[in-house]
Amino acid sequence: MQRVRSGNWRVLIVLGAVNVVIMGLLTALSPTFLSYGNLSAVMLRMSELAMLAIAETIVLIAGGFDLTIGAVMALSATVFGTLHVAGLPFPAILALALLAGIAVGLLNGFLVVALRLQPFIVTLATMSIVRSVVYGLLKGNVLSQLPERFLDLGYVWVLKIPLLFLVVVSTAVLAIVLLRSTVIGRRMYAIGGNERTAFLSGVHVNRMKYLVYALSGFISSLAGLIYTARIRAVVPDMGITSPLEVITAVLIGGTAITGGKGSVFGSLLGILAMYLLLNGFNLLGLNPFWQVIILGVILIYVVGQENIIRGLRAFLSRGPRRKA
Amino acid sequence: MTGKRLDLRGVFQIRELPILIYVVVMIAVFSIVIGGFFSLKSVENITRQIATVGIVSIGMTLVILTGGIDLSVGAILSFAINIGAQGIIAGWPMWVVYPFMLALGLILGWLNGFLITRIAVPALIITLGTLNIYRGVIMVITKGRYITPIPKSYEAIGSGYIPFIFLALVLAVFIYISLNTRFGRNLLAIGGAEQSAVYSGVPVRRYKMIVYTISGVLSALAGMILVGKSGFIQPQAGLGYEMSAIAAVVIGGTSIFGGSGGVLGTFLGSVLMGLILAGLTMLAVNPYWVGLITGVLIILAIALDTVRQLRK
Amino acid sequence: MINIEHVSKGFPGVQALNDVSFVIQDGEVHGLVGENGAGKSTLIKIMSGIYPDYEGVILFDGVPRRFAAVHEAQAGGVATIFQELTVIRELSVAENIYLGREPVRRGGRLDWNAMWTKSREVLSFLDAPLDPRAPVGKLAVANQQLVEICKALVLNSKIIIMDEPTSSLTEHEVRQLFALVCRLRERGITILYVSHKIEEIFEICDSVTVFRDGRHIATVQKNATTPDQVISMMVGRSLNMMFPERTARRGELLLSVYGAGRDGEFRDVSFDLYEGEILGFAGLIGAGRTELARALFGAAALNAGEISLHGRAIGHFSHPSQALARGVAYLSEDRKREGLMLELSIRENMSLTVLHRISHYLFLRRRRERELVDSYIRRFKIKMTSVDQLVESLSGGNQQKVVISKLLMTEARVFIFDEPTRGIDVGAKYEIYKIMNDLTVEGRGILFISSELPEVLGVSDRILCMREGKIVQEFSRAEADPEKVMRVLTGGRAA
Repeated sequence: MQRVRSGNWRVLIVLGAVNVVIMGLLTALSPTFLSYGNLSAVMLRMSELAMLAIAETIVLIAGGFDLTIGAVMALSATVFGTLHVAGLPFPAILALALLAGIAVGLLNGFLVVALRLQPFIVTLATMSIVRSVVYGLLKGNVLSQLPERFLDLGYVWVLKIPLLFLVVVSTAVLAIVLLRSTVIGRRMYAIGGNERTAFLSGVHVNRMKYLVYALSGFISSLAGLIYTARIRAVVPDMGITSPLEVITAVLIGGTAITGGKGSVFGSLLGILAMYLLLNGFNLLGLNPFWQVIILGVILIYVVGQENIIRGLRAFLSRGPRRKA
Repeated sequence: MTGKRLDLRGVFQIRELPILIYVVVMIAVFSIVIGGFFSLKSVENITRQIATVGIVSIGMTLVILTGGIDLSVGAILSFAINIGAQGIIAGWPMWVVYPFMLALGLILGWLNGFLITRIAVPALIITLGTLNIYRGVIMVITKGRYITPIPKSYEAIGSGYIPFIFLALVLAVFIYISLNTRFGRNLLAIGGAEQSAVYSGVPVRRYKMIVYTISGVLSALAGMILVGKSGFIQPQAGLGYEMSAIAAVVIGGTSIFGGSGGVLGTFLGSVLMGLILAGLTMLAVNPYWVGLITGVLIILAIALDTVRQLRK
Repeated sequence: MINIEHVSKGFPGVQALNDVSFVIQDGEVHGLVGENGAGKSTLIKIMSGIYPDYEGVILFDGVPRRFAAVHEAQAGGVATIFQELTVIRELSVAENIYLGREPVRRGGRLDWNAMWTKSREVLSFLDAPLDPRAPVGKLAVANQQLVEICKALVLNSKIIIMDEPTSSLTEHEVRQLFALVCRLRERGITILYVSHKIEEIFEICDSVTVFRDGRHIATVQKNATTPDQVISMMVGRSLNMMFPERTARRGELLLSVYGAGRDGEFRDVSFDLYEGEILGFAGLIGAGRTELARALFGAAALNAGEISLHGRAIGHFSHPSQALARGVAYLSEDRKREGLMLELSIRENMSLTVLHRISHYLFLRRRRERELVDSYIRRFKIKMTSVDQLVESLSGGNQQKVVISKLLMTEARVFIFDEPTRGIDVGAKYEIYKIMNDLTVEGRGILFISSELPEVLGVSDRILCMREGKIVQEFSRAEADPEKVMRVLTGGRAA
């Protein structure tokens, strides 16, 4: 039995087809779907999710796990906003916002590398810490006092495509190139595949881990800025559901939770699929609370589909299970 | 030379001692720094905090011992009291509502266990999914609204020393189970080397389902105790409880990898967590800082545990 | 008496057992030998209840039995001690012995007294001075194995299957195990002893069964055969020359190590390695050879000592990447866990050590990678369908070839081979020796670590004996013989 690598192709094709089908359905059900207005709104709204997906993909491929993506997104926006209110100049607050994300990433890296803690628990804990800081800084308020220059960015369009979306696209392209065509990217796959083997083959595992988490932090903080530019405010709860959404999408896209496998392109398709689904629900007037439920179901299904199908088949053919 | 007495001594090995010291120190510090820390009213609040976190944590201990994890405990807690409270609204008597709440916890816990044992997906992911599913359902049914007013009779379970009595009962029951029954000892085997346990005929699947079901029931119980004082039930109840429970468990010396640890340690861990939570509330510290402290504590506890594991 | 009749088992792509039939007599120690892939572990798993699906019948004292789970097999009197021990570290000795069958009193309460008393009985029968209440995690591997054997006894096993039981034991512990096996035999328990080590088989077993390629070749009484005959039955041909002739000539000084030490593992290690030379490291388990190798390679820290390459002092390596850059390569003894990334492709596995060679600054040159990988696939005749095939789907032998290719690709000057033939069949071993020989003809040097004395003596030009972290003696090929070396390794003085 062989499985061909980069036969992630199969997943990508299926996913691409699914997306097309969903789009077709939605167009049929709601004529406004394919309108320029709706599509550009979709593209915009997907921006930060796509960024977070790129960040998480990189971390997962390298064998790690990052639950802090949503929190860091909120953190960078918060830092940006509160420092602006405090009167610091625009370039400074921009830099500090991004640095905040990198700092959290390095902290995650430190805990995972130096203290050798499990990434899941570590990022669960740091997520909690970062969220705390966000709430503490904002004191629960929404911040809408933001620099004019920054807010204007949300309106800049290049060739009929929103600038913000272009930022996302460039990040995606860079990430794809990094993972597929560079030595560093190959090393990331190696670490995710088998850390000890990578180490004995000369890969600087620890350095790579720091890099991976720092990248994730950086991209997440970038996402935070994009989000803020889009909704023109800093909301304390921003990104709170992101870990679930993003991880589900990334897993749908073919990235393995154990590392060593996956692609940015697949994750983006996954985000698209999920987002179209949710967008469709909104158009159909479905209760937004249902979305969270469905996401939970999809997550479980996606990760366990082989086993679910196998289990279902067994159950149906054999009747109720015998005693465990 | 009976089994139980010797085992108690074994239980009080090095692992639990540090936490006990921390707890004592913390009580001392708080009582000095915070005026009125030991006033009757505050003690009542503290014991309720400790009891609710503690009860949930005991369930979480069993789950983590088997090498699993349950991120949905807070959601189950909220589900039990919010959906259970629909019964209050419908006018059901208390002796129907309480069992109903426990039953809800049982069902949701059982569902977790079912999914985890039937689908080979990590418990992490499953409970991440069910956490959101359960909370989503709560929102759909309650439409995001608070449930109020709650009849005074529901406060009884959460006042005075009653929460602590419940905690003590649950603690006693599960200490006994984990030291003196096949089920209890086999949990360590499942967490330590699952394949061996399977080979030796331990009903691994059944035990895992039981453990998640217990976690669900205990979450519901904790919710019931929580209901009393505030006069209303909110859909956001139990938010962050999974973090506090995990913190209590790992601080109490149970390894996050499963296979070692115990309920007694968790009890001490939850006393610590409860004290910290109560203390912070009384210091009028912004409740948002709780997350930070919990996070830092978890990291410290796990770092210590990892060092301990590496020494082996 | 156990009759195995026409047992077959197939997996997708490979027929693991093909119409195997033989008899295991009551109360005998029955050896089972065969190369890797011969079907031994499949048979063990079938008898243990891990594989309930198979063709054929197995009769226990005339009664056909088919076990659907391990505990069913245990109930049927079959207990297996697997190569990878399966003890629960946190539980006590007694609890491990009684796992899943703990004695209970009324109401489900554990009967600790009964458990301890009965455990003590079994332990004393085996002459094992262990405290039933001690946590198993703190015991030495040999003692953990004892606990498993106790478990088998307590199950009233009629047959105990031992799968490579001596792979992690010291010489002394192996002796103890043999004594134990004899005692078990006296009690009427049948033992199925599965091992690669022909010497052990001939020492402890009454009869031996040979498998090859999933088929039963022969079952013979020990007295009616010789080790050579058994080996040729295993391999299907006679291997007169087990080791290739050493044709390389010694050249310049390649590697020098002075006073290398690592706390708690080895100290004061000094030696020279010349071009064209194979320097063997003999030693018992725990002697410190792998630790030395890893430290020299930069995978572990060196507390003291210096390394020189081609006469130039370079201190020491603090990371494998440095060693590789300087032309020192290391083959780990655990190929699957440290040599391969199972879920990545052949191509990605092989090229990992030489990324700098297939890249231009930061970017990978795919074509160069293809060429390099293809050349090694041809050279070692690796059987695969595509270079992008996942390594985990390759057979064990081909996986091994991938690891070797990966190593050889580095074109290192110094190769450190750590137990390169562990768990490999006789035919493949010979291929490895040939590869090592070819490397030395090219002027490279090899540090060769092995726990199989015949191998070390047959392949190396010089042999260094390590004991308890120090080099205690050096032998040239001519002067070394197994007894002399063994005496040195175990603590005596060489004659």
